[in-house]
Amino acid sequence: MQRGSVLEGVVDDTRRLGPSLVSPSSACSAAGDTLSYIPALAGADLGGRVTGSTFVLEQPRCIFDKYDSADIWLVVATEAVLPFTTIPIPHFPANTSAYLTLGAMQYHYRCPEPNGELTVLRVGSETSCANNTSVPNCNGPLPGPGPYWWVVRNNFFSEMSVIQWHARQTPSSPGTGGGRSGAMIAITAILSVLLAILLAALLAALCR
Amino acid sequence: MPLCRSPWRELTSSLHEDLKMAKTDNGIRICQGLLILGNVVIGMCGIALTAECIFFVSDPHGLYPLLEATENDDIYAAAWIGIFVGFALLALSILGIVGVMKSNKTLLLVYIILMLITYAFEMASCITAATHRDFLTPNLFLKQMLERYLKSDTDNNNDKLMTEGVTKTWDNLMLQNQCCGVHGPSDWQDYTSAFRVTHNDADYPWPHNCCVMGSQGEPINLDGCKLGVPGFYNSNGCYDAISGPLNRQAWGVAWFGFAILCWTFCVLLGTMFYWSRIAY
Repeated sequence: MQRGSVLEGVVDDTRRLGPSLVSPSSACSAAGDTLSYIPALAGADLGGRVTGSTFVLEQPRCIFDKYDSADIWLVVATEAVLPFTTIPIPHFPANTSAYLTLGAMQYHYRCPEPNGELTVLRVGSETSCANNTSVPNCNGPLPGPGPYWWVVRNNFFSEMSVIQWHARQTPSSPGTGGGRSGAMIAITAILSVLLAILLAALLAALCR
Repeated sequence: MPLCRSPWRELTSSLHEDLKMAKTDNGIRICQGLLILGNVVIGMCGIALTAECIFFVSDPHGLYPLLEATENDDIYAAAWIGIFVGFALLALSILGIVGVMKSNKTLLLVYIILMLITYAFEMASCITAATHRDFLTPNLFLKQMLERYLKSDTDNNNDKLMTEGVTKTWDNLMLQNQCCGVHGPSDWQDYTSAFRVTHNDADYPWPHNCCVMGSQGEPINLDGCKLGVPGFYNSNGCYDAISGPLNRQAWGVAWFGFAILCWTFCVLLGTMFYWSRIAY
């Protein structure tokens, strides 16, 4: 199915591109441009939009068109202020408040958007490199329920709009319930009365 | 004085007694006919009850391990009692027919007493089925599923058997009915579970049996399933597939038993009345 192949394309691409790209903190220009793009969670019809350790974003299509060969990164942070450096996910959030992942080139998010195909980014889907500090930009599962802030940025912008993700609430256990239905009460009452009548009739017949 | 009795009076009095005997004979015949008919119906209902309860005990939907793990499997006990009550009703109805046709007081007394014992057992079966059906709520199955599905550290042999039973039953349920969880796949996200201990959330937001399967028994698109794309995973819950058969079983045993007992009540009252009217 076409939908399926685009999905695979997205996930495979982001995996292949992992470690070799420039970090935006070193290539940050002094231009100070800002962009009013708010990176959004994917549509509500996706059942796995927000899970215990992952979330799904819409791809930032048609946003970076005027900037050729820009490196585009996702920065996930535990607070709304980004630090100067980011380090691999196994050390997050203990040693730093943000990490970089899902690096891509500008041509991956080109306009126009393909019709009817799913274009999403799943944050937290790579479990194979989650504990491996030698893989610098691993898209590992998030360590806790949140909340998290994220930013999509490239090396031309010093600041972009951020949005806070309200994490899934901590799971709990269900209780059990159960009452008495009217049918059960009716059956019990009627049958008891009938049995009592039968015993009384037997006694009356025997004692005649 | 006996000599004052006129022959005319003797004739009319003997005619009178003959007429009374004929009326009473007719009445007895009708009574016997009704009782035999009643016993025939009881016999047939007994056979039907046995057949129905054997069908339920054979567990065609494979749901017994779920109830066994909840230690709430008394609707199966009610079905077992129903099997034996059905046989008893058949045998006693034959005894009743023979007793009524022979107008034998001893036979009929034995029939009445044994029927009362059978009545009590069937009453227990009906009440048990109705009561325990009330315990079968969605939360009961949800709790079972979360605590036992793919649980890895089992305490003892009994626990291990129950866990395997629940896991196998849920796998079958999810594959055959194309459903996931009790209310839906969100059950695996909203609640803690034994499954979550061994399967991390990123790779298994819900079990892979919730994915739409291809002809080889593999998910057609695992990434689509993990993302929750409609069409690649089953988003409806399995509660209907569980509660439907169990409700039918419970109500089948309870209400059919109730109907049989109402009819048996009438036949027994008639038999007691008949018994008190016939002479030794």
